[in-house]
This record gives sequence, C-alpha cells and structure tokens, in this order.
Amino acid sequence: MGKLGFIKILVIAGEAGRVTRRYPFKPETLVSEDFRGRIEFDETKCIGCGACVNACPPNALELVDKGDGTLLLKYFIGRCIFCWRCIDVCPTGAITGTRDFELATNDVSDLYEVVVHERAECSECGGKYSTIRQKEYVVEAVPITESYIDKCPDCRKNKLLRALERRRGGVYE
Amino acid sequence: MDISPILKNYKKIVESIGKSSFTHVGDTIYIIVEPNKLRELAEILYWKMNCYHRTCVGVDERPLNGHFALYHIFGDDTNGLHIVVKVYIDPEDPVVPSITDIVPAADWCELEAYDLLGIKFSGRKLYRLVLPPTWPHGVYPLRKETPYNYRPSVKIISGEEIGESHDKAVVPVGPYHPALHEPEYFELYVEGERVVDVKYRGFHVHRGIEKLGESRTTYQQVNFLAERICGICGFEHSVCYALAVEKAAKIDVPERAQYIRSIVLEIERIHSHLLWIGVAAHVLGYDTGFMHIWRIRELVMYIAEKLTGSRKTYGINLIGGVRKDINEEKKKEVIEKLEIVEKDLKKLIDTMVSVPELKKRLTGTGILPKSEARKLSVVGPTARGSGLDRDIRRDLPYAAYSEISFKVPVYSEGDNLARFLVRVEEVFESISIVKQLLDQLPRGDIMAESIEIPERKMGVAAVEAPRGEDVHFIITGRGKPYRWKVRAPTYNNIPALKVMLRDQALADAPLTIASIDPCFSCTDRIVVIKDGRRYKLIPNKGGVVLYG
Repeated sequence: MGKLGFIKILVIAGEAGRVTRRYPFKPETLVSEDFRGRIEFDETKCIGCGACVNACPPNALELVDKGDGTLLLKYFIGRCIFCWRCIDVCPTGAITGTRDFELATNDVSDLYEVVVHERAECSECGGKYSTIRQKEYVVEAVPITESYIDKCPDCRKNKLLRALERRRGGVYE
Repeated sequence: MDISPILKNYKKIVESIGKSSFTHVGDTIYIIVEPNKLRELAEILYWKMNCYHRTCVGVDERPLNGHFALYHIFGDDTNGLHIVVKVYIDPEDPVVPSITDIVPAADWCELEAYDLLGIKFSGRKLYRLVLPPTWPHGVYPLRKETPYNYRPSVKIISGEEIGESHDKAVVPVGPYHPALHEPEYFELYVEGERVVDVKYRGFHVHRGIEKLGESRTTYQQVNFLAERICGICGFEHSVCYALAVEKAAKIDVPERAQYIRSIVLEIERIHSHLLWIGVAAHVLGYDTGFMHIWRIRELVMYIAEKLTGSRKTYGINLIGGVRKDINEEKKKEVIEKLEIVEKDLKKLIDTMVSVPELKKRLTGTGILPKSEARKLSVVGPTARGSGLDRDIRRDLPYAAYSEISFKVPVYSEGDNLARFLVRVEEVFESISIVKQLLDQLPRGDIMAESIEIPERKMGVAAVEAPRGEDVHFIITGRGKPYRWKVRAPTYNNIPALKVMLRDQALADAPLTIASIDPCFSCTDRIVVIKDGRRYKLIPNKGGVVLYG
C-alpha cells in the first residue's frame, strides 16, 4: 500500500455508515432472544423449598423466617447476576426468565420481589417447620410420607429414637 | 507423546536431591522436598530443565496435618507438564528459604504468601504487597482461623508529601486509568524526556476472592465468582477453575461440552484482542481506528450473547460441563457473522498499519529482550512478542484444543509493534479455530452425569487467556474448595514493565503500559477499604511507597 494508504479509512467509514442507534428515543429490541435478564416468580407454583437460595451464587435470593408463621422468599434484583441457576434447580418450574434488563429505578422497593409462604405447624409440639406448600408437594410426590409429615423433623427424630430405645429395652426420657 | 523418559529424568533429579518424594498423576508431577533443599531443586528446574515458574501458593494446612505448606508450581511447557513442589513449614515459626534470587518470577507470589498467611521468607526483603498498610499486623486473611467477613477497624494515616524523595523528577501515572480503565499506580522517574526508573504500586482492587471461594460459596457457585475475577477474560478463569476441580476429582466431561467451552473461549479472545487493538489506537491518538475496531467488535459481542445468553460474564460454565447448547441455526449464524468480522478486520488492519504515525510509535518502543522475558517468566502475547514460543493451548492442551490445528504467532523483536502484530494474528487464528470447532462439533451430552468431588485432592490447571496463561490451583474440601489459588497473566507481566519502560521516551510510556494488555482486577483479587478520602502517598522507612 502506498504512502496514502491510510486514507482508505474514508472508504471503510462510508461503507459502514451509521451504526449507532437512537436508543432510548426509538423503541427497539436491543437484545437477542437468547439474552438472560431478570427472573419472575409464579407465586402459585413456588413451594418455598429454598433450592434456588442454595444455588444462587450472589445471594440475590434469600429465605427469611419472619417468626410469625410466615416464610418469605426474597429476590433482590440489585444483587442478581442473571445467571438463571435458580431456574435450573427449581423443582416446580416456578421461576421463569425474562429478557428484561432496563431495571433502573429511583425507588429501591421496585427492586425487591417477595413470595410469602405459610409455615406448617407440628401436630406434636406445635412448632413451625417447612411450609404448607412444600408439605403438599412432598406428599404428592411420595404418598407414603403422609403418615409422618405432620410432625416437625425434631419430633420425628425423637420418635424414632424412642422407638429404638424401646426395642433395646432401654428407658428414654 | 511418550513422556516416560522425561518423567524418569525428573525422578532422577528428585532422587539426587535426597529425602524427597515423587508422585505423578496425569500431566502433573508432585514433589515434596525438605525446605533446605528447595533452592537447589528450584535452580535445577528453572535453569537446567528450562521450566517456567507459574506461581507459588501458601496454604494453611494446620487443620489437616499441623503445618503450613508452600507449593511452587513450575511448568515444563515443552513436555506438557506441571511440576508442583511442596515444602512443609513449621507452624510455630513459619520460615522458608526464598528463591527469588534464582527465580525472579517468584517475587510477588512470595510476598503474597507473606501478606496473606504470614509465611516468612529468609534471604530476601519482605514488605507488604497485597494488603493495605492500614491492615492490622498479625492478622492473616488466608489463615483458616480468620473469618471471611472479618473487617478491621482502620485508622487512616495521611501524609503530606506526595512521592518519595528522589533526585529525579517524578511523573505519576495513575492510580486512575493508567492504560485501560482500571486503578493502578506507576511512578516514573525521569531525566529530561527519558524514563530512568519505575515504581509500581498495585493491588488496589484486591477483593478477597480466594477467601470467599474457600468459605462462603459452594463448588458450583465458585464458577460464577471466578468469572467475575476479570471483566474481559472472565470465562477463562471460570473454565480454568472447572478444569482444576475436574482434574482433582477425576470427572469425565463430555466431548461436546469441551468443544463448546473452546468455542466460547476463542470468542472471548477475539473480543478481548479487538478491545485491546482499539485501546492501543486510542492511546496513540488514532481514535478513528479505535471506533472502527469497536464497531467490528460489536458483532463478536452479539455472537457471544447468542451463544451464551450474555454479552459478558457468560455464566454457562459449571464443573462437569456447560449449561447452554449450540444448535444448527446458531452454528450457521456464528459462521456467517465471523466471516464478516474477518473481512472487515482485514481491511481495517491493513489501513491501520499504513498510518505512518501509528507505525512509527509502535516500532522500537517498549523493548523487552528475550533473556529478560525468560527470567521473569512472562506469558501470553508479551512472551510471544519477545521470541518465547509458549502457548498453553498447544503445549498443555485442554478443552478441545488437541482436536484442531492452529498457528502460534511468535515475533522476536520484543517491541510494541511485535506485541501488536501477535494479537492481530491471533484474532485471525481464533476465527479459524472457532470455525473448525463448529464444523467438528460432536454430538452428545453437555453435562457429566455424576459429579462427586472427594476431599483433599489437588488439581492444577492452566488456560491460555487473551493476556497469557491463567493458573488455578485447587485443594478440594467438603462442599467447597479448601484452598483456591488464582494466578492471572498480568501478575507475571507487570514486573516486565520495569524493563520495558526504562530508557524510553516518556511519551511512549502509556502505550508501553498498555502493550501488555494489563488487567489489574485479575491481578489484584482482594480487600478494599473505603474511607471516602483522597489517597495520598506517604514515604515510609523501608523505602516502599505506601498509601494512607
């Protein structure tokens, strides 16, 4: 190429034309259909098992025990990295992904999404455990659990220990 | 390749040292030596056997065996071997001989072990490298008794003087955006227009990622954390971590998953190199070139989003495989788009290198001679621009790189132009690699069936990132890594800047700093102390520049 070869940039620029877009003044889709954006919950499907909370790398999902018989599944978009691991692990398909990424807001409460669950009550000690929805889900999947699912894990454990003690002739307090 | 004679050779060396153990698993040799024999072995490995020094890792193994341990990781690239040399260190008085006078490349990682674990190195000057000066003495973040969320109460010292007393004029470069938009500080000492000395202070963005990976996250979560080590070449870190764990746990990853990993890795290399070429043009004041390169890069970003679901931080990598498959339609689209990229780029690069100012400023500036490059074990395009023929993709093939053919461009000039041309050629090679891989993409699963990770296994993996090799070292624990060490390529390349900048015109310094494609966030990885005040430099007794 000769000494003035660099002038070719004008040809390149002419061919490329204008590539910038008039976003956000002109509505258009900026992302492809494969894009991972914000997640959405189907409150009727969520059972409050916490699988998504365990899988979530940045702790955007949290389970909060309010202490008044409710369990909250809290989603904070501010921490979310849009990896969709929660969608992979959700046993009921309650979480779906969207292509939504324009999430800027001046009200931080817009960035929270909460699913409220009612906790199950133990038929023996009256303590709270798991959630009613999760109980129903387990019974439906494995019907045999119906005989003992009314008791909380602690009571179940104690019951088993007691049964073992009786069999070995020991005394259990 | 038959490596058994080489293994025998290494065994002989280790036996001649005496009182040491030798084990060999896959492509990794594990050697345990007495501390007083370490220097002898390091000299043989580094200079006689021509191994590179990858990094060293301090580990708090007191809960396991009552000792600290130091692992020096060497790499015999010509024979495709990792060599891990371990020494046990007394927990009460953790002192181990330093090898920096024999292996200059080990300088920083020794200081890091001193900072983070309190391991002392005899026979060298020790000072703080990674931790901020206000960090309390006697608190070592990577010791197991220090909780990951420990926050010291910090008192800010503020000095008056900026810079050290020095008879030369001082030109500060940074700490904001010295080359790419990341924080790092260079102090250039000049005589007239020439740079005579360089001081470097980094690690401003040390985020404690290794500690987080060891304490708060589970195995699969670390993939996503690793991806966030670097904003440009994150996927390499994620893959490198996964490969290290897979090696330690002996997990068989389906071929298709390995191909997809390689494809995405190469897409990342293309976008990273294009980004760098653009930035180099920008640093040289050729903004037209910068804009056009980034216009072309946009297509690559689109391909990345199409293949993975995200323009950056792809999030498709897990231990055992990948999460997103590539179908025929995408395959076709990617190949079409890459052809456009190739054609456009060729035209643009031809035009760019014919800009006389650009060529003049790249030629003969920032020279790194081969001998210095070898001494510092530099990696990636920086090494290949200085005549060191090393590329992990070819030397220790991982993912699907053993299935395809590609050239490794090497230039011997060692100047900025050489590094520029290495990267340009690599972009075209990468395009050809992606095409080959897509063409040969085998059928099958993309995720391993069962993933079980036993405790206390070791794994070393290296991945050729756009800037050089990433090295991840892992010791497995229960449900999460016991120790996870990350070595980013820029970690090895920054010390070479001292050589490149010396005796150069000051005006070329920004370009030379940019020419190693520094990635500071990768290099740093740990704690940030916020104070909301302006940082000032204060001189301290040891002659080390500190921040207050």
